[in-house]
Amino acid sequence: MDKKQNMIDNWLSEHGNSEINQFIDKNLDIVDKVHAVLKERNLSKADFAKLLGKKPSEVSRWLTGMHNLTLKSIVKMEIALDIDLIYTAPEVKYQYVNMGIIEGKKEEQKYGQYELSDVVEQIPLAV
Amino acid sequence: MNTFAKIKLVARYKKVVYYTVQIEGDAASLFEDFLLKHTPNNKEKLNHIMKWMKKIGDEKGARKSYFRNEAETADTTALPPKGTNREPAYIEDGENSANDLRLYCYRVNEHVVFLFNGDIKTTTRAQDCRQVQPHFRLANKLTKCIAEKLNDEIRWNKDGTDIDFDEELDLIF
Repeated sequence: MDKKQNMIDNWLSEHGNSEINQFIDKNLDIVDKVHAVLKERNLSKADFAKLLGKKPSEVSRWLTGMHNLTLKSIVKMEIALDIDLIYTAPEVKYQYVNMGIIEGKKEEQKYGQYELSDVVEQIPLAV
Repeated sequence: MNTFAKIKLVARYKKVVYYTVQIEGDAASLFEDFLLKHTPNNKEKLNHIMKWMKKIGDEKGARKSYFRNEAETADTTALPPKGTNREPAYIEDGENSANDLRLYCYRVNEHVVFLFNGDIKTTTRAQDCRQVQPHFRLANKLTKCIAEKLNDEIRWNKDGTDIDFDEELDLIF
């Protein structure tokens, strides 16, 4: 289907607020991660509420995907489940990767006007 | 008296295909009417619902937990979703506010969802709200009608990720 015919994308590109869009993106990802861990560990929402020392209704509210979770609530969930919900890696523009040495062939050396180099050049790659 | 409607594609994502219906004689589909009505006055609440549909369409699939149950005579649902014993929230100026805008839907499976119409809900029960009650009732009627045509005039593709139907197919309800 042509993107132009996509009513949802069309509406979002014309009227969407990037703050709301990013909020939904991140919030739903965090909540889904919690749900997945609860499922994997066979924990109910009531069990999770006990771990957090909160009322089950409050925890349900946190886990809808539309609640404005505070950093404090996120950290509480991280500690209760011993997981990282927000991974904050340092921001790196470039990461240097050693690509190794490319050696010339003996025949090439024989006919060429150059010598083999043992210099290792480090090439910056955007990652 | 019978009412006739046709199925219309809304959006196709990797994980979910959204459809709506257009009632015979109407200038626009139910979902287009919903957008036209709520874009001017309820843009932020609508934005949450629209982004939610895109997010689950692109990445997650239409899981049951992403919708709220609004079944009366058929398996109708609505957006936004609901937590236990609470109303759904949306963020307005950084604060949680109740999102009382309802978009009635029929979540056929994790890959196919029909979007109908909706409005601002002003009472606890949809049946008691003058604004949403007509949309709630219509959504339940349409859900029943579509469900009855599944595996017959509305066919599933091989892997159950989309439906196939004659463009001239009439939903009669």
